[in-house]
Order: sequence, then C-alpha cells, then structure tokens
Amino acid sequence: MKRTLLLLVCLAPVLAHAQGEELENPGTVLAVQDRTYRMASELWIGIGVAPLDAFYKGVTGQVGYVYHFSDSFAWQVGRGLLSYNIKTGLRNQLETQFGVSPTAFPQLNWIVGSDVMWTPIYGKTSWLNSSVGHFEVFGTLGGSVVNERIAADVASGSGQTVFRPAIHLGLGARLFTSKNVSFRLDFSNEFVIYKGLEANILLVQLALALNFGGTE
Amino acid sequence: MSVVRMQPVTAAAVALVLALPGFAQTPAPQSTPPPPATKAPAAAAPPPPSAAPAAAPAASPPAQAPRPAGAAAAPAQPGAAPAVAPAAPAAAAPQAGQPAAQQAAADQPPPKVDPKIFDEALKDYFDNKQEQAARKLYAFIESTPPTDENFAWAQYFLARCLIDLNLRHGGAVYLAKVAHERSNPQVLPKTLEALKVLTQVPHDEVLIDEQIFGSLDLGFLPDSVSDYANYQQGLVDLRVGNERWARTHFVKLDDEGVEASRAKFALLVTRLRNAKQVDDQMIDDFLELSKDQKLTQEARNEARLAVARLRYEKKDYEGALKAYDMVQLPSLDPGRATLYLEEAWTRYNLGQLRATIGLLTTLDAPSFRDEFLPDKYILRALVYRDLCQYLPAKRAAKELTRRFSDSLEAIRERDDLTQDFRLRRAANSHGSTRRTAKFLESLNLEGEQLGRHAGGFGERLYKHLQKVYDLAHAEAERLYQQRLQEAVREEADRLLRADEQVRLMEYEVGLKLYERVKRGAKLVQPEKQPALTSAQIAFKFTGEYWNDELRSYRVTIPSRCIEEGAQ
Repeated sequence: MKRTLLLLVCLAPVLAHAQGEELENPGTVLAVQDRTYRMASELWIGIGVAPLDAFYKGVTGQVGYVYHFSDSFAWQVGRGLLSYNIKTGLRNQLETQFGVSPTAFPQLNWIVGSDVMWTPIYGKTSWLNSSVGHFEVFGTLGGSVVNERIAADVASGSGQTVFRPAIHLGLGARLFTSKNVSFRLDFSNEFVIYKGLEANILLVQLALALNFGGTE
Repeated sequence: MSVVRMQPVTAAAVALVLALPGFAQTPAPQSTPPPPATKAPAAAAPPPPSAAPAAAPAASPPAQAPRPAGAAAAPAQPGAAPAVAPAAPAAAAPQAGQPAAQQAAADQPPPKVDPKIFDEALKDYFDNKQEQAARKLYAFIESTPPTDENFAWAQYFLARCLIDLNLRHGGAVYLAKVAHERSNPQVLPKTLEALKVLTQVPHDEVLIDEQIFGSLDLGFLPDSVSDYANYQQGLVDLRVGNERWARTHFVKLDDEGVEASRAKFALLVTRLRNAKQVDDQMIDDFLELSKDQKLTQEARNEARLAVARLRYEKKDYEGALKAYDMVQLPSLDPGRATLYLEEAWTRYNLGQLRATIGLLTTLDAPSFRDEFLPDKYILRALVYRDLCQYLPAKRAAKELTRRFSDSLEAIRERDDLTQDFRLRRAANSHGSTRRTAKFLESLNLEGEQLGRHAGGFGERLYKHLQKVYDLAHAEAERLYQQRLQEAVREEADRLLRADEQVRLMEYEVGLKLYERVKRGAKLVQPEKQPALTSAQIAFKFTGEYWNDELRSYRVTIPSRCIEEGAQ
C-alpha cells in the first residue's frame, strides 16, 4: 500500500506536467508532402565486385528489371550477373610454389535470379544547406541460380560448369536524381547451397536505374 | 555537413496594399552594364590636336564640365543639403590624414594636358586599366571645353571606368551629364543603354528615373531605349495621378515588348488603388497578366496575389485560395510571409482552422522570424479560441504584447520611432523606404571602395568623386529619413491596432476560461482528419523547418468545445 502511494506521489508531477504541456501546446504537426519520386517499372544496369573469395576477385556486370507494385513493395522480376574473375596473388602462390591443384578453386561464372523488394525507408537529406536530395533504403530476398566453373577446366579450356541454387539476401539504397533516373548501391549475398554446405558470394554493386511510367 | 530526415513508410480583411513602385518589374540585377563597343570612338573620330587648345579650358573651365573644387560637383543631385551633409564613410578617413599641401593642390586650377591623353586613356580602358584611364579621362574633361567632339566620349568612358570599378553612382552621374548635355548624338544611345542597366540595381531614382528617363525628349531615341523611356514617363504620370497622360506614353510601346506588359500591370494597379469597388473585369485582367510570360516570375506572382486579394475582398475565399496556389516559388525559396499570412486568413474564413494553424506554424520559421506580422498573433488566438483551447489562445494573444513590448512602450512614450529596432526594420522591408535604404547602403559600400582607389585616381579625381559621393549620401540620407518617418508611423499604427484587438481577445478568452461547464456536457465529436494517400509522405515536425515543407504543415488539434444542448 505504501509503495503504491509512493509511486503515485512520484508520478503525479510527471502527469501534471504532461497535462499542462498538452493544454498549452495542443496538437501535433506533420509536414505532409506528395512523394517527389515514385518508382513504377525499373530497368537497371550496374557494375560491381565480388570481393569475398581469397583466391579470385570478380568484377561483375549485372542488369535487372523491377516492377514496383507500390512505394514499399516490388518484385525484382529478373536479374543476370556476369563475372570476370581475376586471380589473387595468394592463388598464384599456392599453385606455383606449393603445387596446390587448380581444381580446388571453383569460381563464379554467372548468376540469374529473382527477388522481392521491400522499401521501408524513404527520406530526404540536405546537402550543404543548399539542396535537398531524396533517397530510399530497401532490402531484397529471393532465389538465384549460380553457375560456377571448375578452375582446372578453365585453365585447360574444357569449360565444365556446374549449376548451384542459392538464396539471395540484399540491402540497398537508392539516391534519386530525377523522376526517371536514380542510382542504386547494393550489398548482397548469395548463400550457395553446395553439398550440404553453404558458400557465400558477397556482391557490392553500383547501378544506374531508369524508371518508366512513374506517377507524378 | 548534411542533415538527413527519414520517414518510415509505415508511419506514413486583408489590407490591399499595392504600392505602385513595388509592382514595377525588376529584372535580375546585373552588377555592371554590358561591355561597350570594342572600337574606341577616338579611332573613328580622332581628336584633332588643334581642336582643343589647352590654354582656354585652363583659364576658363567650361560651365558643364566637372569642376575640381568648390564648384557644384554633382549638378544632377537635386535638393542636396551640403550645409548639413554628413561626411560619407569613405570621405572621412582619407581626409583626416591628408596633408594640407595635398588639399591645396587639389584646389588648384586644372593643369593643362595634351589632348592625346584621351587616346591614351582609351587604350588604358581597353587594356583593363580602369583606374589609370579614369584619371586621364578626368584630366581631359577638366582641361577641354565641352564643345570638343571627344568631350562627351570622355565623360561616357569615365562613367564606364567608374562602373567597372563598382563605383556605380559615380558612373551614373557622368552618364547623366552626357544625357543632359546631349552634345554628341553618337554617345547618347550607349549612354542611355548603360543608364537603363543601372536601373536594375539600387540607384538614384531622382537622377536616373525622373531627371533622365522621365524627362527625355522621346523623338530621337533609339528603339532599344525608347520603350523603356516611354514606360518610365508613363509611370511618372501615373504616380502623379494622371492616367490619361500615362496612356499617351503607353500606347507607343511595342505590344510584344516587356515594357508593354509592365505598363498594363502598372495601369491595373493604379486603377485598383483608385477603384471604389472591385469588378470581375479587373480580376480577369490581373489573371490574364499573371499568365504573361514576358513578365518576370516575380511580377506574375504579384498579379496572382492581386487576384487572390481581390477575390478575398469579394469574399470568394475558394477562388482566393486557388490564386494563392498559383503562386510559383523557385525551388527551396521560402516565399514571402505576407503570402502565407493572407492565405491563413483566407483559410480561417473558410473554417479551415487546422490548416490555418499549419500556415501560422510556417510563419514561425527562421526565414520569417524578423517579419513584422502583428496579425499573426491575433489570427492564432482566434483559431485557438474557436477550438475552445482558451489557454493557448490567451498565450498567443499575450505573445504579441510580449514580443513588441519595447515598440509599444516607445509609441506610448512618444519616442522617436525611427530609433525603434523593430519598427525601423518593418519600415525598411518594403516600398520606397526599402529602395532608398538599399541605395543608401550601396552608396556607403561604394564610398568605402572609393577610398581604395585614392592612389590610382590621383588627387583631383579622388577629391571630386568624394564630393559627388558626399552630396549623394547627404541627399539619400535626407530622403531615407523622410520616408522612414512616414513608414514607421504606418507600422506603429498597425501595431497599435493589433494590440487593441489582442486586448479585446484576452478579455473575451478570460471570460470563457472561467465559464462554468454544465452538467452532462460532452466534447464535440472530433473532426475526421483526412488520411494519408499512398502518394503522400508525412514527416513529424519537431521544430526543424525545411524550406520545401513550408506549405505542407498539417496540424492535428482537438477541439475542446462543448456540444450544444448540454444540460
């Protein structure tokens, strides 16, 4: 009982203050604006890197098409990536000095996939107090098919490839420059399912996105 | 460096004051007139060495030529008060430390110079050595009779030198001399064009607008300036209330020219000022003018505001709102406080209380913090009173007396109101007082710059320009004080009226505050707020103003009024 009374005594000033504030400054204010930028059909082309593998670095080119159902939900209908791989010094060293077989190094060839895209954040930013830029942050989740080549075959020119399924998870941001043009920065990871183990292909990409049919 | 504002998607009788000069279209200011023809006049008409005997001007300086000392240095300055002229900032410092010998040297008659100095001066001018060119041109002008064929060219190029050195008023004085004397018809068109450009920045309105363009003989003018001169002369006639004479000038304007549109605007504004009753035709005329692409954006906005004000006067509030919506602001431009306040009154009259508070929130933005808007506090108190939010209403009403307590005290004590900071700022913010204040400010700046050229100009030209600037400063100061007196009186009247209303409001709200609530009383049903559409985004306002949001505030505020019919 005493505790309850003590609690009430402590809370009373807080409640009184809140009520006084509400009486003196009633109401809330929102800045309600029409969205300056709205996406509809998006075609994008990007370049990026696959930096994670210690034995090669992939320079990637990727294109994709996204259909936006609303301002927050979209379907990345299709995307296709092609990787140009560059051996790292470590791999050269392993092959030449330690006689490690080249077959031990699978490498990425291409990826195709489809995802859903969720855009929970739309915002604006001030640049040097002189201009306002708009951006959004989105996440992607989907499936991919990863095509890899066995490194030994690449060296011999026989070109044997393997297809592996993967789960795509990504996070990206888009900076709008006009109603039709925006730039995307994507970080994504392909969780490749391979003999019961998971291998990661991390991709970092900068893309130019063209928007068609966006509402004003 | 940068600020980020993020919003999760899920959260997703206004006074009609239309001062005519304020409606005059003001093109984008340019710091200097366009460059002159690259070919020097001396090349076309070289001065014959025998044409200007050096001895004659030295013995008897020409009446129109600028005199070095003692004589009227700025003949075009009307109504100057040299006896009480305060020294211009630039003039004071150099004079203080000047040796008496130099002072005496400046008072000497002008030395004889070789007429070839004119060619040298032009060469210096085209080599971008404006200081040297100005010194030589002034020496030439001093020692040459005004009948010399290069005399007017020398005045013109001296003006150009001064304008290039940002001594615009000094340049304007010499251009005005060329325009007045008209000794060389070849120089006149260029002179008038240069003067026309100078009208786009703060300038001596009496010297240029009235004494030059307002009184030119229009028969011989080149096309490039005749429209402008006709327009200016029409404006002068309108200002003195002679519309018929103004029309005789305006009918000569090229229909496709920008001056024709500006003239239409000026005529409409004048008619509006004189009209006892507003008719629809006048509104339509303003509406049509607001679509005239020949006018600047600012002038078109003025026309839209005029439409809105006229519709408001006719109690067509919906129509007024449409006109306010038509006002186009440049990207991230905060706009004008009067625009928001007028729109707020319109919405209040439509019963849109929350939208009114939204606009009043806009008026609290830092961009408008210095605006003199006593009405704002009255309107806010009215809205809160209508929503039965009596404490905020009382507070809003008191805010006016609190904020303007110093000014109100000064009015009651019959102090010099021009010394009151707020009233002075309000008076300086519009109309002719503003233009005069800007001209005075530019004179001060140019006076400071003049001091930097003391060495390059030489003693004689420097002393002469000091006199020109001193006289101009004294006259501008006199005119400014005169206009300021009238303007602060008007602002004080506005403030007193607002104060009176606020006191009434306080009394009324005080009665309401202590009114007994009847048994069984219920609050009125809250109004349904329009939901956000998918195309909209909402940012919660936390006191940080973004210029792109100023017209977008939406306020949610409950009404505390009691339903009618309570027991």
